Amino acid sequence: MTSALKRRYELTQSQKLMVFILAMSLYGISNMFSELIPELKLGPIEIKVEYFAFIPLTLCILFNPLYAALGASFGEIIFGELLLGQFGGLGELEKFIEFSLAMYVAGLLVSDPRNRKQLALASFVAVGIDQMLGTIVDVGKVWFGIEEFEAVPGLPESILLIEGLSFLNAMIITGIFFSLLPTLFLVPRLYGKIEPLLGMKPRDSRVPLSLGQLMTPRLLITGICFFFLAVVAEFLAESDINFAVWEPEFIEQYGSGYMWVSIGAAALVLLATVAFAMRSKAKTAQKPGDIKL
Amino acid sequence: MEAIKQNLIDKLSVEQIKIELMRTAFGRQSTFLSRFDPRILIIWYSFFAIAPWFIHNKFILLGLLVPIVALTLSSKVSPLVLIIMGIGLISEISYILLGSLLFGGSLASFWPLMTLTLKILLISLASIAVFSSMDPEKLSDALLSLGMPAQFSFGVSYGYRMLPILIEEYHNIIHSFRLRGRSPQRKGIFGWRSLVYLATISVRAFYPLILNTAKRTRTTVEALEVRGFTYSLVSPDAKKLKLAYLRIRPLDFVFLGCSLCYMIALAVAGQHFSL
Repeated sequence: MTSALKRRYELTQSQKLMVFILAMSLYGISNMFSELIPELKLGPIEIKVEYFAFIPLTLCILFNPLYAALGASFGEIIFGELLLGQFGGLGELEKFIEFSLAMYVAGLLVSDPRNRKQLALASFVAVGIDQMLGTIVDVGKVWFGIEEFEAVPGLPESILLIEGLSFLNAMIITGIFFSLLPTLFLVPRLYGKIEPLLGMKPRDSRVPLSLGQLMTPRLLITGICFFFLAVVAEFLAESDINFAVWEPEFIEQYGSGYMWVSIGAAALVLLATVAFAMRSKAKTAQKPGDIKL
Repeated sequence: MEAIKQNLIDKLSVEQIKIELMRTAFGRQSTFLSRFDPRILIIWYSFFAIAPWFIHNKFILLGLLVPIVALTLSSKVSPLVLIIMGIGLISEISYILLGSLLFGGSLASFWPLMTLTLKILLISLASIAVFSSMDPEKLSDALLSLGMPAQFSFGVSYGYRMLPILIEEYHNIIHSFRLRGRSPQRKGIFGWRSLVYLATISVRAFYPLILNTAKRTRTTVEALEVRGFTYSLVSPDAKKLKLAYLRIRPLDFVFLGCSLCYMIALAVAGQHFSL
């Protein structure tokens, strides 16, 4: 039984490539459009479409979530950033990790693409995880500089308010109009139609997956590690905005070089550990008779 | 005034955007930067994508900006890309300014913010200059030879090539939806009815687009398989053959050396002048 279950999710190399390319090109083009949509600003609160979350979400639900999520994030970097010349360097790492993680988890949650409740849950989870992680990073940025802001009472709270509002705004506009409704519209229509086009069988619903099976320690640990990495990357990238009044003092204390070296080393070690763990896992999973092509 | 407005609308039409993107993806003239080896350019760019975050001296940052602006101008970037970047920068500045003014900050906190803006500007201009003068084919081969997984490096060149076709197709689907559908008769306050109508169309248009792209993706991947793509991913010989044309010439070292000398000179000068 377990071997049948495992085999069901195994894709050939070219099928993985297909899912990856499909997610990349579709999300890439949608990202280009969502970058061009103007945003409405009411004071510090922006009302805008964050992204067309339904495209990667639909693909994550219909196909293997890992390759679809990675492909989508990659498409965003190529089309939305490189081609438009908006590449933000290190800060992009945060977006990449948060977004892939959110889409991957949401795709795993759906075991039956025809079940509307699961679709609704997944679409909120996807936007929720991504926006929540982003909010935590943003609030954390201010929290680190909090001592310096005692002169201005109430500032930390106001940041919480702004971030909370923008989180709500993202959940309502992006979460409902560009995630929930389109997903409910697209997934049941595409299910069973698009898979044959790629030469695959649909993800069927006969093998139920419980939540406990999904939330394996490996997924959780990897998720936390990646989130930590994302935070580090974002802090590195953003450590120069006004909230970082704290920084000059920090530099005086330790010297700026020291700080970068230590953070960089920590990130490197973490990355290497995760990569090593994943590789060894993949190696043990591979049967000895397999031909690696 | 009317004429200017009409002109602006013409410039911003979807058709125009499409043409501009086509030019960005395909129309590569020989520019100053395109003469160098793509790997050298990537290394050069990765320095300029990371280094500005570590520099706090505005004098050095401004000094870096000068050659990068010159390089960007020399690489004949399409105006659309520059406009989009400008809008992004302005909205970013005004957002930060508004935030700092609203919550008790003063203009004094705006000056450090300009450092951030300068850094972002530097990085985006460097990325525009490098990536718009690199052929997608060259870029993907350079990534491959720097050790990126072949799927990724293939994705880059595929993405660049595919994008204009996808935009064209999406545009056509929207056209056919509008031809066959009926737009709302009354626009409602702020035209919300037509907004909802447009948003619905733009989401619905993805349904045929997804199916068509899936077909095209399969064709592409199968064509690749016929040519032994998966095998060439793991075979070092195939990779070597594919990358044989990439060669680092003395010119590249001259370029790197000049950049390095300029950086050192700036750093030394930055010790004396700091803004």
